[in-house]
Amino acid sequence: MLEVKSLVAGYAGSEVLHGIDLVVEDGEGVVVLGPNGHGKTTLLRAITGLLPPRSGAVFLEGREITRWRADVIAAAGIVHIPQGDLLFPEMTVLENLLMGAYHRPTWSERNRRLERVYDLFPWLKDRGSQLARTLSGGERRMLALGRGLMAKAKVMLIDEPSLGLAPLTTQQIYASIRQVKEAGMAILLADENANHVAGLADRVYLLETGVLVREGPADQLLKDKALLESYLG
Amino acid sequence: MTQTVQAVWGGVLFGSVYGLMALGLTLVWGAVRLLNLAHGALFVVGAYAAYWVTSSLHLPILVALPIGVLAAAGFAYAMHMAFIRPVLGKPGFDNSTLIATVGISIAVSAAALLIFNPQYKVVPPVLTGNFILAGVQITNQGLLVIGASLALFAAVYAYLTYTRHGMAIRAVSQQQEAASLMSIPVERTYGLVIAISGGLAGVAGVLLSPFFFLSPNSGFNPMIQALIVTIFGGLGSIRGALVAGFVLGIFESFVEVFYGVAWAQPGVFLLIIVMLIVRPNGLFGIGEVRRL
Repeated sequence: MLEVKSLVAGYAGSEVLHGIDLVVEDGEGVVVLGPNGHGKTTLLRAITGLLPPRSGAVFLEGREITRWRADVIAAAGIVHIPQGDLLFPEMTVLENLLMGAYHRPTWSERNRRLERVYDLFPWLKDRGSQLARTLSGGERRMLALGRGLMAKAKVMLIDEPSLGLAPLTTQQIYASIRQVKEAGMAILLADENANHVAGLADRVYLLETGVLVREGPADQLLKDKALLESYLG
Repeated sequence: MTQTVQAVWGGVLFGSVYGLMALGLTLVWGAVRLLNLAHGALFVVGAYAAYWVTSSLHLPILVALPIGVLAAAGFAYAMHMAFIRPVLGKPGFDNSTLIATVGISIAVSAAALLIFNPQYKVVPPVLTGNFILAGVQITNQGLLVIGASLALFAAVYAYLTYTRHGMAIRAVSQQQEAASLMSIPVERTYGLVIAISGGLAGVAGVLLSPFFFLSPNSGFNPMIQALIVTIFGGLGSIRGALVAGFVLGIFESFVEVFYGVAWAQPGVFLLIIVMLIVRPNGLFGIGEVRRL
């Protein structure tokens, strides 16, 4: 589904990712675990074109999409739920959701897709006319997730969905993501907490200072407490 | 009585004209954060295109109107492709676009001079005739301008609120990265806004020119007035452009009728200075942080 080969990316003057190789198969839940500041967000941004990679290649269903514009990559079927939600603050909840379905073929099915999102987060339906900037942190995260689900995704990239949330809300968010995954969606999720991703991850990569240092099936890697502790602290 | 009716009529007419020009300006500011000092040039492009269609092709003004609007919109889009798009998101965007748009204004005036000669031109009105109301002469073209301005405000508002492309314009202006993650093409959306704004200036150019004579510099005053209205109403606010257009238009008209023409401009500026002291972001100012 999604394949990343020797990806190198960074910002002016500093290289953050030093050659990343990574695969997400159809319907697979892949988690990149790593401490803050080691390149998880950069990796997702490089894949979706928000930060054009310096070298390496990205393939979606075998087709190379490296250095495509972000909006073209999105239209090709990679949905990215970015860090910090990046909602449209002066637009209503409903308008935010509708923008998720902007891509023309999706737009004609927007009402059907709205119902699907409402099944997952029923409160969104009653609060449709509320401005996004007036939502609480947890509500924003759910709206960001719902907006992403409005698009027709082949694979979803989710950037640290627990960031800044209370434990109870965090649980709720991960339960929703598990539901999406169980419906057959391929997911690439970046996180710094191994406890969050149990039941969601099929495979896990460990990211340290811009390099993927370990890779393995989740049921083995997530049980190796000593290993996780040495990497994630 | 006659004086009051005169003041109200003049004010509503000025107000709708100011608002119409300010609408395009505030739209582009709100969406692109571009202060388009070529907005007056777009007015001139629309007006001269209509003049050319009526005088050289001898076609009726109702044919010339859409052609003028399309010419202004097309010119605005070309300006976007040539001068705005290359510097989008680059450092120095503000300065380079400011200089570029002033340059375009000068170039358009010079081109109009070369192509059409410096003599004043007459653009025929869409509607002729007038009637007397309480001793005041009401022109049908004036009523048309007021109606067109209000209708265009309503249309732009509905477009931004209810349509896929209109919502995308707001999305891009509020959160550009997220917009591109929703597969919204950011640069093309900017081009769309600038073209719409050009079309609005074109409408103003074709409909207003019959009130004055058309010359290569005809766009300058409407643009300055639009700038004033936009700042008064709050840069980037559509409601602000509408309300400020009428407030300033009616205020100016009343001062003119009751205190004489000489006091009209100073009075308007006094009002603006006071208003900006009280509300620095304008009447409906959305400030730096909030967007369209």
